[in-house]
Amino acid sequence: MVATANSSQTAAGAEGRSPSASARGAYEWILLVVAGLFGIVSIWFVGTIIWQSASTFKSQGLYLLTGANWVPGAGTGLPSQYGGRAMIFGTIETSLIAMVIAVVIGTGTSLAINFFVPQKMKTFVATVVELLAAVPSVVYGVWGMLVLAPWFMNTVGPFLSSIPGGTAVLGTTVAGKSLLLAGLVLAVMVLPTYVAISREVIGAVPHELVEASLSLGATRWQTLWKTVLPTARIGLFGASSLALGRAIGETVAVSLVCGGVVGTTFKPLEPGVTIAGWIATQWGEAVGSDQIGALFALGAILMVVSLAMSVFSRRLVARQRRAAAVV
Amino acid sequence: MTQLDHTSHEITSGEIRAHLRERSAATLRRRMLVSKIMTVLCWAAIVAAAVPLIALLIRLFEKGTPVLFKSGFFTQLPQQPTLFDQTNTGGVSNAIVGTIAMIVYATLASVPIGVIVGVYTAESESKFAAAIRVVASTMVGAPSILMGLFAFGVIVVQLKLGFSILAGSFALSVLMLPVLISSTEIAVRNVPTTLREAGLALGAKPSTTSLRIVLPAATTGIVTGAILAISRAVGETAPILLVIGGAYAVTWKPGDPGSALSVSMYQDVGQAYDSLKDQAWGIGLLLVLVIFVLSFAARIWAARKQKVQR
Repeated sequence: MVATANSSQTAAGAEGRSPSASARGAYEWILLVVAGLFGIVSIWFVGTIIWQSASTFKSQGLYLLTGANWVPGAGTGLPSQYGGRAMIFGTIETSLIAMVIAVVIGTGTSLAINFFVPQKMKTFVATVVELLAAVPSVVYGVWGMLVLAPWFMNTVGPFLSSIPGGTAVLGTTVAGKSLLLAGLVLAVMVLPTYVAISREVIGAVPHELVEASLSLGATRWQTLWKTVLPTARIGLFGASSLALGRAIGETVAVSLVCGGVVGTTFKPLEPGVTIAGWIATQWGEAVGSDQIGALFALGAILMVVSLAMSVFSRRLVARQRRAAAVV
Repeated sequence: MTQLDHTSHEITSGEIRAHLRERSAATLRRRMLVSKIMTVLCWAAIVAAAVPLIALLIRLFEKGTPVLFKSGFFTQLPQQPTLFDQTNTGGVSNAIVGTIAMIVYATLASVPIGVIVGVYTAESESKFAAAIRVVASTMVGAPSILMGLFAFGVIVVQLKLGFSILAGSFALSVLMLPVLISSTEIAVRNVPTTLREAGLALGAKPSTTSLRIVLPAATTGIVTGAILAISRAVGETAPILLVIGGAYAVTWKPGDPGSALSVSMYQDVGQAYDSLKDQAWGIGLLLVLVIFVLSFAARIWAARKQKVQR
């Protein structure tokens, strides 16, 4: 956001040194060549992942997206079956749970930090939030596995199952490790990321708007709900798409708490798998067999999703900016 | 006025006013109630956000601190506990060396390239620069495990160099590159245009202006970005898990299979022995402390430099 805000300024600066564009010196050439190198690396990146997964795409076809079984054929004489339905559903389910929790609690937290927390404590809270955003995901995973999973097994799981219809909808948990637990751990993990940005975005809403709304007789909440949040929506959207990206791609934290079972029902309290988690847990035995190609194919799906999300959010933000500029 | 009041028997203006007052009082009461409830809910949100995170930190320090003070944690190789000697976990010296080695190699490889590309995207307005900008910001959000797959494809499959510290460093440097590019670009763009114009007005070549005036002014931002990229790489697990191979030996050699703190933590927690699970807490605490120190250093350094510039 900072970059785009300043781009017009630099564009003006660029006109001032336009003569240099025609006659590139050694300096300009070095910049261009190294940037070109980075471009090549990024193409190589995409190419390698696609190329490594090509054989699996060819042999599995659509089964890779819809198939329910993941059975390596090595040593059995049967053809390998690599169906990614459980991983894809698991990824969607855990990310969805995480995002609903993180966005609701995170937005409330950001509003509270900006409008209710005393001025003196604001810097402290902001620093803590940013430090927590830097805690490695494996730490969240270990905490989820050693602390939350037993709690889930003994308290939360039985409670949810005891609600009438709870078992039918949510399933029952055996060891605590489940898609719901993975979603919860992800929520706790992406919360600092989301709050770190949404706090700034909400803090950047002009104070005149807040005061105008209050002076018209709106209550505090009406001001927050009808003035502050709509004004900050572009930034909030950016924050949530960043958090969503983190949730979808998270590997180790999820693989420690999701249970690691290729299921068919996807009930939240039952164990499941996600794309990234499955790649990490299967990797050791996959090396040297055709399963490695299948894991690369899952990686390719992840890459396409992350790319699509990035393009989508970029276009949406650009469009909303244009709309905001017109108003 | 009085006549009007007498004639309109059904609804007087006073009655209308009273009615409106009553209604607005009712909505005001309702609005205030909603506002109060939502305020309480916002406070509840901050509590709901803070409680798990604080619980996590408390548990991490409580479980991890004794492990850090255990003799040999920093100096010994890991040991496999047995039924008869269940607390014999040894230390994590191999993982410490492996992590430091990978961070050093990855930093040496990615910082120069990242800074140069960042300067390029900040200074050039060409279509190519715009494309690089988009690619870099897309890669920042890409799942880190993809870097592991890429490193495997390049180092292990294409170059046949095997599972190694080199492959781990490669994955980490690809992870750090886009972060460095973005932070450098922002740092360079934040240098006031007037500085650059002053340099050009004095007759300096554009390249001289960039190298001698703009870059020094942007150093704080660039270094802060680099430290934050490093602190992100320190705790990263997924990409190196796929390619470093794992080793029970202390080695700095890029070609050897290596170990890393984050990977050891991930593997220890899956073991049956409680002593190894405790070991995982200790490694986690060490990682968090290192990362906190790094981010604090970046913060303090940036703040001090800003003061000096003023």
